[in-house]
Amino acid sequence: MSQILSKVFQSMNVAVFDHPDDQTLQLLTEPPIWLGQFCEKELVAGDSVQLVGLFPFLDCFLDEAEEFWDSKISTPHRSGPWVDFTPDGEEIPLEAVALWQDDKKLLIIQDLGEEYYNEVTRLQGYRDGALTQEMLELEIENQTKQIRVREEEIAMKLLSAAGHRDHETAAHVRRIGLYAEVMAKALAWDEASTADIRIAAPMHDIGKIGIPDRVLLKPGKLTEEEFEEMKQHAAIGADMLNGTNIPLLKMASEIAMCHHEKWDGTGYPAGLDGKEIPESARITTIVDVYDALVHKRVYKEASSENAALKVMEQMVGKHFDPDLYAVFIDNLPTIREIKNNYAEPTEA
Amino acid sequence: MVQKKICLLGAFAVGKTSLVMRYVNSIFGEKYHTTVGVKIDKKQLVSNGQDITLMIWDLAGQDDLTRLRTSYLRGVAGYVIVADGTRPFSLNTAINMHKEAREYTGDVPFIVAINKADLREEQWQVEAEQIKALEDDGAIIVLTSAKTGEGVEETFQLLTQQMLKSELAPLDNTEIK
Repeated sequence: MSQILSKVFQSMNVAVFDHPDDQTLQLLTEPPIWLGQFCEKELVAGDSVQLVGLFPFLDCFLDEAEEFWDSKISTPHRSGPWVDFTPDGEEIPLEAVALWQDDKKLLIIQDLGEEYYNEVTRLQGYRDGALTQEMLELEIENQTKQIRVREEEIAMKLLSAAGHRDHETAAHVRRIGLYAEVMAKALAWDEASTADIRIAAPMHDIGKIGIPDRVLLKPGKLTEEEFEEMKQHAAIGADMLNGTNIPLLKMASEIAMCHHEKWDGTGYPAGLDGKEIPESARITTIVDVYDALVHKRVYKEASSENAALKVMEQMVGKHFDPDLYAVFIDNLPTIREIKNNYAEPTEA
Repeated sequence: MVQKKICLLGAFAVGKTSLVMRYVNSIFGEKYHTTVGVKIDKKQLVSNGQDITLMIWDLAGQDDLTRLRTSYLRGVAGYVIVADGTRPFSLNTAINMHKEAREYTGDVPFIVAINKADLREEQWQVEAEQIKALEDDGAIIVLTSAKTGEGVEETFQLLTQQMLKSELAPLDNTEIK
């Protein structure tokens, strides 16, 4: 090896080994200082060195290097950095490179020195920043969840106050939201919209607050005029919830407006049909009918689930979106669990 | 003496190096020092009356700039997947790294260490259901704290026992889904 090359290798803190057979690693360069710190005996160029016992990392890399040498690719194959400790406890960052040159298997090991610590500093800065960003995102997520919980509580309190007029219970409004959430999840809605419908669906009847008691609380059948008056609750509710940029209230408004629309276009107030009706409202319609059928009301007894499903099946394609009804049936076990977990106080 | 190579895998800053430092040197530092590349430590222990030397490969944590180099897993007898119980994202990374490692190592024993358990009263973000789901999928989970030492010895002991057991009998085909 020329004197110049020898000096270059020394200045680069590099040890170059030839690997003529499976057992031997022959040092081609003068030993750099760091190598001497790991070896008991003093080395000189030309010595055979047992590296595997000295550097456990090489146990792994030499197997990889053998595969590389067998492939006879001329591009160097790098091990990536590793940190080893001298018997005195000094930390030395090293990297090995396997090289196939002139039919020789060469192994180059370099003390990365400052280059390694510069990389540590660079990555430390990046990771500190990434960690801060992750923590901030988590904080925002947690705060958003808390806001959601508060929003839901406020909505439930207001709905329960409104429900006092027509005897809708807090358990009913809660169930409608949870059923709708199950449907939204099954339909792979995004997280925010799924959370929105849990709060928005229960508000579908909020417009009843604007219906006079003589109509809302009338025990018998409504006259045609009274029914027309009752139908106003959809538009009243939509109007109450309209006029904001809050996605939750926008969704609540469209549900309030469209929850009496029917798939075949015979519903009210606009006579929309099929997918003209927002999906949020089509979902709410199905779960609202289900909940009304399986629970007792002042004017009727509770139906069994089987009886309720028979009635609902008759409504598919007329009142209900057939695809959404199929999703409802697929998720019936979860919906039934919600029904049982949020039973009316008298049923509990 | 039997020698076993084990690796610690996980997202960055979950405490892999701190767990090794606690286990090997019984020390802990509060400040986060990133690991670049691999650090190898050695620990001797006795498991089921057998002297074992663990060669512990502490691999750099995964992030957008650093991916798992699966060749580091060559010859591994078992591994510890480390997640930070205060960072839900790290649990997802841990599960993904486990899947990636599994493809390379096959059915070697592994332990899931959910670290920073000393913060479980204040900042814990791992739901009981998530832990149950992992256990249902066959993972052994240990809550650890490199700060207090909780679960650290247990993690390495359990992994060693599993590794010795797997030498005697084929492992159950357990996977984290």
